[in-house]
Amino acid sequence: MPSSTMPPNRVLLALALAALGLVWLLNLGVVQPNRIVSGTGYGLYGATGWGGAIIVSSLLLMVCVLAAKPVHKRFLGLAALLTAALMALPLLLEVFALRRLPSDSAYARIGIGAGFWCLAFFLALMLLEALGQIKASRRLQLSIVLLIVAGWWFCAGREGLSSLSLIREYTNRADQFSQALTVHLSLSLGAVAISAVLAFGLALAMVRREHWRRPLLGLVSFMQTIPSLALFGLLIAPLGALSAAFPVLQALGIRGIGWAPALLALIAYSLLPMVRNTYVALMEVPEAVVDAGRGMGMTEQQIFRQVKLPLALPVIIEGVRITTIQAIGLTAVAALIGAGGFGTFIFQGLGQAAMDLVLLGALPTVFLALAADAILSALRFQETSK
Amino acid sequence: MIELKGVTRRFGDAVAVDDIDLTIETGEVCVLVGSSGCGKSTTLRMINRLLPRSSGDILVDGEDINKADPEALRLNMGYAIQSTGLFPHWTVARNIGVVPNLLKWPARKRDERVNELLTLLGLDPATDAIKYPHQLSGGQAQRVGVARALAGDPNILLMDEPFGALDAITRENLQQEMLRIQRQLNKTTVFVTHDIDEALKLATRIAVMDQGKIIQHDTPEAILRRPASAFVENLIGKGDRGLKLLALRTVGDLMERYPQPRKSEPCTDGLSEADSLRFALSVMVWQNSAELPVFNGAREEVGTVKREQLLQGGA
Repeated sequence: MPSSTMPPNRVLLALALAALGLVWLLNLGVVQPNRIVSGTGYGLYGATGWGGAIIVSSLLLMVCVLAAKPVHKRFLGLAALLTAALMALPLLLEVFALRRLPSDSAYARIGIGAGFWCLAFFLALMLLEALGQIKASRRLQLSIVLLIVAGWWFCAGREGLSSLSLIREYTNRADQFSQALTVHLSLSLGAVAISAVLAFGLALAMVRREHWRRPLLGLVSFMQTIPSLALFGLLIAPLGALSAAFPVLQALGIRGIGWAPALLALIAYSLLPMVRNTYVALMEVPEAVVDAGRGMGMTEQQIFRQVKLPLALPVIIEGVRITTIQAIGLTAVAALIGAGGFGTFIFQGLGQAAMDLVLLGALPTVFLALAADAILSALRFQETSK
Repeated sequence: MIELKGVTRRFGDAVAVDDIDLTIETGEVCVLVGSSGCGKSTTLRMINRLLPRSSGDILVDGEDINKADPEALRLNMGYAIQSTGLFPHWTVARNIGVVPNLLKWPARKRDERVNELLTLLGLDPATDAIKYPHQLSGGQAQRVGVARALAGDPNILLMDEPFGALDAITRENLQQEMLRIQRQLNKTTVFVTHDIDEALKLATRIAVMDQGKIIQHDTPEAILRRPASAFVENLIGKGDRGLKLLALRTVGDLMERYPQPRKSEPCTDGLSEADSLRFALSVMVWQNSAELPVFNGAREEVGTVKREQLLQGGA
């Protein structure tokens, strides 16, 4: 299928045409007089003038042509083109700010419109397809992601984008932001680490004692079914009572609200995917392999350490990956009970109807989840290919 | 020497192995043959204590196998199974080196042993050693399985249908290898199979099992000539018993040997000393010849074999 370069690539063609339509139909950006009032939207032409409109449109048309025509090494060219386009994408906003931001107002700012998001999203999808077609190695994929991130980092630091609403929200809260990052990471990763240890023990118990399997899996599945908000809330009362009864706990910072109930709830949610994957991974080691090991004179401990564990590791890591992504997302909700983290910005933003503040909380959360996904996928891939 | 005395194995109420007595002499290949569920694998797995026995005694060289650790017992018994059980995350070399590693051999001795075994099993130490099991064909994987079983230089070899999952040609090749290796190493071997032809080919003595009991324990020839029951008769197949008997003996056993090897004329069709009489008969029928010359390994004519002789004294 991908080995032949002759047939037109319908996926890329459809994506490019959709992107072209959406980028012309939707607003590329918004000019807001201040952070709360919803502003005036500008389309591609209105925002960037003929120059920007022509560059964006011809880029997408070029993708269409390359997708349709059997040009030699077209997917390599497409991947390079799309990477460059994604790297330079924030420049569109800079041009927009330059052209449309009223210079007389200190509060005026520009917001990102749906058209820009769609363009970024479709460019990323097309890049993924092109990379899939050239069967890009993991190393190449990672370098491209880093290139794009570096491009955005560079653009975000430029003077021209300082009026971007998202960046304004960030500059106003730079200290809070780094604190939120620390809290978010330590809460979610701490919960994952603790539940990984717990889950390993539980899974081992289930493997060794078959009759523990149903009650244990039932328990962790039950915890997963409690709505996250409810669980955070339910923990307030018992933890508050405990903390009141034992001053030691209070001294440790364990109270009805804050990090303690958040961590407990996150651990509870993390247990199911972790226990299930670890258990399944250990149980699915082929019986013949274990039988051969035992028959050759390996002790049970040697079989576990040298055979079962290494064979189960990819699936266990997969469990950690799912759990980490889930925990990073859930930690945002934990801000409701005062745990801190990026959720704080989201709820503040929702309260103040300042959507860019919501984004300031949401985007890093998504980014952390994607980064965790990438790192753990790479780790699992390495383990599998060993 | 392995002795089983009144060994019984029950699974709940079911009796898998029923009070069997069996003596396997040092250096012989004892093949346990029977249909599935007859208790042959259970018997094998009791010898290395993968299964505990319900009652009876199993002695290895006069010692009760329950006296030592099961691990110590198994380290001295090579173990090869049908599904190979190769560790998928280890290379071929590391798989073969398992038992030497468990025995804490020095690395150099272990590596030499691994190379020696790869060569013995017809694998290439340079290219095959670094492969992973999933990169091997079924036959190669089973060769590695056998090499792994031999690696610790055990006195005893236990093989549970090692060639059962292979295609006919690969199986035939591996059986030949087995015979060759066994002639070199003379391991006391217990070999489980459901294939009577494999049993006849490899065994010094065959133990035919049915419903947990040993029906007959004898040499292949005796089993073919004097089947102890209708079950055994059925198993060996009445129709081609004669051919199976012919298959047990080689041309070298029956031929008229010249006093001195003669220089052979080039391109003469003929037999080699190691060919079976069954093969010789087949060639004669095919070529419609009453007599064929026999050659040795050096392509010298060492004798002749006659069809009449074959029909009268072959089986």
